[in-house]
Amino acid sequence: MNVATRHRAAEVGETVLELRNVETFYGPIQALRGVSLEVPKGRIVTILGANGAGKTTLMKTVSGVMDPEKGEVLLEGERISGMDPDAVVKRGVAHVPEGREVFPFLTVEENLRMGAFTRSDTAGIADDLALVYDYFPILAERKGQPAGTLSGGQQQMLAIGRGLMTRPKVMLLDEPSLGLSPILVKEIFAIIRRLNREQGVTMMLVEQNANVALRVAHKGYVLELGRIVMAGDAEKLLASADIQEFYLGHQAGDQQRGQKRWKRRKTWR
Amino acid sequence: MDGGTWAADRPILIEGCDTIPKLFAHRCRLKADAVAHREKDLGIWRAFTWSDYYDAARAIGLGLIERGLGRGDPVALLSEDRKEWLYVDMGVVCAGGITNGVYTTDSAEQLAYLVNDSGARFLFVENDEQLDKWLEARDRMPGLELVVVFEREGLHDFEDPQVIFLDELMGAGRAFGEAEPRRFEEALAAARPEDTAMLIYTSGTTGPPKGAMITHRNILFQLTAATEVLSFEETDELLCFLPLCHILERLVSVEFPLLAGCSVNFAESPETVFDNLREVSPHSFTAVPRLWEKIYSRLMILRKEATGFGRWCFDRAVAAGMAAEARREKGEAPPAALKLRLAVWDRLVLRNLRRMIGLDRARRGTTGAAPISPELIRWFGAIGVPLVEGYGMTESAGVATANRVEDNRIGTVGPAIPGVELRIDPTGEILLRGPCVFKGYWNKPEKTAETVDAEGWLHTGDVGRVGNDGALTITGRLKDVIITAGGKNITPAEIESRLKFSPYVSDAVIIGDKRRYLTALIMIDQENVEKFAQDRQVPFSDFASLCAAAPVQALIAEEVAEVNRAFARVEGIKDFRLIDVLLTAEDEELTPTMKLKRGFVETKHKALIDAMYQGA
Repeated sequence: MNVATRHRAAEVGETVLELRNVETFYGPIQALRGVSLEVPKGRIVTILGANGAGKTTLMKTVSGVMDPEKGEVLLEGERISGMDPDAVVKRGVAHVPEGREVFPFLTVEENLRMGAFTRSDTAGIADDLALVYDYFPILAERKGQPAGTLSGGQQQMLAIGRGLMTRPKVMLLDEPSLGLSPILVKEIFAIIRRLNREQGVTMMLVEQNANVALRVAHKGYVLELGRIVMAGDAEKLLASADIQEFYLGHQAGDQQRGQKRWKRRKTWR
Repeated sequence: MDGGTWAADRPILIEGCDTIPKLFAHRCRLKADAVAHREKDLGIWRAFTWSDYYDAARAIGLGLIERGLGRGDPVALLSEDRKEWLYVDMGVVCAGGITNGVYTTDSAEQLAYLVNDSGARFLFVENDEQLDKWLEARDRMPGLELVVVFEREGLHDFEDPQVIFLDELMGAGRAFGEAEPRRFEEALAAARPEDTAMLIYTSGTTGPPKGAMITHRNILFQLTAATEVLSFEETDELLCFLPLCHILERLVSVEFPLLAGCSVNFAESPETVFDNLREVSPHSFTAVPRLWEKIYSRLMILRKEATGFGRWCFDRAVAAGMAAEARREKGEAPPAALKLRLAVWDRLVLRNLRRMIGLDRARRGTTGAAPISPELIRWFGAIGVPLVEGYGMTESAGVATANRVEDNRIGTVGPAIPGVELRIDPTGEILLRGPCVFKGYWNKPEKTAETVDAEGWLHTGDVGRVGNDGALTITGRLKDVIITAGGKNITPAEIESRLKFSPYVSDAVIIGDKRRYLTALIMIDQENVEKFAQDRQVPFSDFASLCAAAPVQALIAEEVAEVNRAFARVEGIKDFRLIDVLLTAEDEELTPTMKLKRGFVETKHKALIDAMYQGA
């Protein structure tokens, strides 16, 4: 654990990543209808939303896979929207995509080194590799094994490790809990939290599993139909009646019949 | 407007019927297999005939009679607009009961209050969601005997001795009808014109809600007067979407069709009104100003997003319509050149606009229940949808004054409808007299006496003036008159409706009673302000951050300044705050027709208000 933590120019709490009025389309379909949000340094910010809310589009817009029609994405105050994905990665945005997407025929270590593809500082890469193996011992054990033979949880760890190898200013995590057993979800989120606390990695986390996401995040936004309908500290969101009912599956007090089919109207406050 | 011809004992007859049940039975007999209602089920419009209407009402009425419904017993009805609402309403009224509609946005608390105040023994609820309200507050409604649920969905395992489903009640009613085949027809013939047909609770901004008793005669009067002012034809299609608990929609969708035999189409939900409007394309359409404003903003947004050429055509077409409208207003016929220009633009543009909003068949639109901007009426007139404004209240059984399409005095609410006397008393209050005046408040004779005086004048609580042409202009509410610390009397409604004319302001409340100056609490129009922010790249996340954004504050400040320029300096709004929570109809600050309630707003946002007077 003697690897230097990665403080950069910005102080903790300053905005690393900012989206301003971003609108993104799939052809004629508008997926993001003007999204503005901020990710402060050293914090975990989570984006909650149901299927089709625009979470993945948001991630893809940040990482440069999709370009916004309107609005801009700023990394440390510099505009990165419109850039190619590789340029965005070089600037320090690591995207850990939904469904892992590791290279199945490359070994674990080769996969990790792919993460450092854009870097040339050999010593730094070696340090970071050690760091990844430190956080994910199972990857060290299996470093010579093809990534395709890893379990889903291990692949997720590999994908996160690969993201870390770029030494990102901000890491985008797209549904790390997808398809994982509850125990593995717990394990991965414990590591995410440690990476954030110990290494100061700034993260933007997209999740359907609001419960785990809000417990690890500092701040959250709720996305619905391409719009932000609620924003605030994680504690505030956890306490909100709408989040409780629609994202955490708790039901408000009126349970006279022992079951309830209808949904309250959402007010987002 | 001769009051003498409408002496209280003079019967009002429509096709020989002097009560709603008789008229209902008469119309159902005549129309039998014609379509009475259409409702959308799994995406398909399904038609229901007048015979279905009668059979269902009969089964429900008999079911209630069998269960002991007595003459003059109120029955509470808690449901969204749907054909069963009408079935129950007619079933109850024919059986001699009184229907009391409850808003679906009311809480369990409010439901308990209404049930207890009316003394209802029967409650109809739409579904499990509404049933839960009764379950939550059942111990506070000891007088309630039976709850009837329309939909079984989500309630298959549910059992409760006090709860049955509508089909069960109707089954029992039909069986009872076999045994006593004349019972229902006898019951409906027994109604007298002076009996109460409906109980409508007025949203109590001061004190608890009061139940206004509307008689058969009141309604029949509305129907006879309506035929003289508004035309309804047998082939008309109507769209029902405002709450049926409200007197306006009740008249339009339940009572007028009894007179004219037109078909009523039920909107699926308040969210789908625009789509349903296009599908149905009604021949006349009654809505509240908020909805007309929405239609207008939709078209304006379409215009903004159109090509440069499209925009140019749109503007030219509307300009031609406006020019013709201005002539019409002056009572002049448009010159031939203008007529031709309008005809061309109508074919090219306006006709399509009307089709896009589903008003291509509309002979007229009507608006009421809240003040509307005259500009908006002119604009709709310009695109070929004649929009007329009327005025009335629950206590006047609906319409008291109305404009006519052929004589539309824009900016006024029109002259009194035939048979209604209109007078302004020295305080400026509008007084009404005639067969439209309600019977009184349920169990509150002292409140009735405060509202209807010994001579039969209804004190509306509204302030207004009558022009030389007899047309009434409303300037505000008597209770709302603000007396500033400087002693100046101000009617806030005028300033408020000016503010509301801004597309960015959805509603506003002027504050200033016993204060040194006026201030305003403003509710912004989410859609339009979001668009403003989006177009100008003003970052915001949720509604609160939108309200807090400096450019939005500046935008509203400019709108306020605009209004201030229109009024005298002493009435200038010195400061304002935005209400930064998105209010819904469930919130007590809003009426079911989405108007801000002054009293609630003043108490709930006291901190905001006080902040505007600090350091003053």
